Amino acid sequence: MSPLLTVLVVLFGGFAAGIIGALTGLGGGLVIVPLLTLVLHLPLTQAVGISLFGVIATSTGAAPRFVGTGLSNVRLALFLQVAASSGALLGALISHQLPARLLFLVFGVVMLYSAVMSFLPGTHDRAGAKVDSPLARRFRLASRYRDGDEWVDYRVTAVSPAFGIMVGAGFLSALLGIGSGVFKVLAMDKLMRLPFKVSTATSNFMIGMTAATSAGYYLSHGDVSPLIAGSVIVGVLAGAYLGAHWMKVLPVLALRRVFAVVLSFVAVDMLLKGFGV
Amino acid sequence: MSERLEAQRRLITVWILRISIGLSVLSILTGLTIFLVKGADYMPHTPSGPITAILAYVWQEALGLHPSAFLDAGILVLLFTPLARLAAGVAANIRAKDWLYVGIGVVVIGLVLVGFFTGQINS
Repeated sequence: MSPLLTVLVVLFGGFAAGIIGALTGLGGGLVIVPLLTLVLHLPLTQAVGISLFGVIATSTGAAPRFVGTGLSNVRLALFLQVAASSGALLGALISHQLPARLLFLVFGVVMLYSAVMSFLPGTHDRAGAKVDSPLARRFRLASRYRDGDEWVDYRVTAVSPAFGIMVGAGFLSALLGIGSGVFKVLAMDKLMRLPFKVSTATSNFMIGMTAATSAGYYLSHGDVSPLIAGSVIVGVLAGAYLGAHWMKVLPVLALRRVFAVVLSFVAVDMLLKGFGV
Repeated sequence: MSERLEAQRRLITVWILRISIGLSVLSILTGLTIFLVKGADYMPHTPSGPITAILAYVWQEALGLHPSAFLDAGILVLLFTPLARLAAGVAANIRAKDWLYVGIGVVVIGLVLVGFFTGQINS
């Protein structure tokens, strides 16, 4: 494929990833890595390195609308980021030692898991924790956020297991070039029992920092083509901007489920590649 | 953290994010435009090695209006954005004398920087 055609394909792919990410909440990495490996036939480590820059772009582009609402719990994000960045560092360090087929298998499984999670009911209305756990008190993790005209206080629990999940989320992010938002929200929403909006905003804050930990590794390692990464970044930012506006008028839940079905087919393709078929 | 310090922190964060996104996109679009104008028939150089060497390379190539310099600069600005946001958070916590979170912030910055340096060692 000529460099010009490559740029056009990646710009369009990044744009699609940005729109899908904004509309469905499923990360752009799940679109970009298969595009770069299955369509452009890039080595997986290069696709992962480039995708991580798309993840940083998604997180950075969405961040300004969360600042000032109190939705993003900065203390909690920093505390859990120690775990996520440690996992990301570990993932980056072993990324070039693992066989590509194993990585394709893991990627396929994570894609299938994300697709299945899209069909499960949300936990938006579930009651939050009543009291803080001792660790949450020690690190002052409880906070509050603005909902309309009033402030809503919330408590934090199950800090240790969530910390463990964050190590795994960071590890997978670095290994697969994804934001791992589905695991971060799982830890904060289901385990720590934070309000859903707080989980999402705090997860977005962390995703960029986690991706930056391993993206620097991949860049120094020579895995990041500036032409392809630059096209991904511009495409993702433009797509995310448009997607955020379309969100108000399109049937997001139905789209999320349609995309999950598409994701399942791509996951099977990645799994077959992993099995050498 | 007091309301005034918190408001300052939010303002600085929003401006860091806006300026970084603007600079990054502008730089990448400049690189892509030069790439297209020059014929779009070659792949720009892929950088590797220490971040400092990549920065020096970007500066040299920018003087020759080489597209890869602008593309590299754009992705470097984006890469450093989460670090800048973290550093602003640490500075705000220093002003608030919240030493626990100054320490945690410094550890996270350290982990991100270790990622940069281990990459160059293993390249």
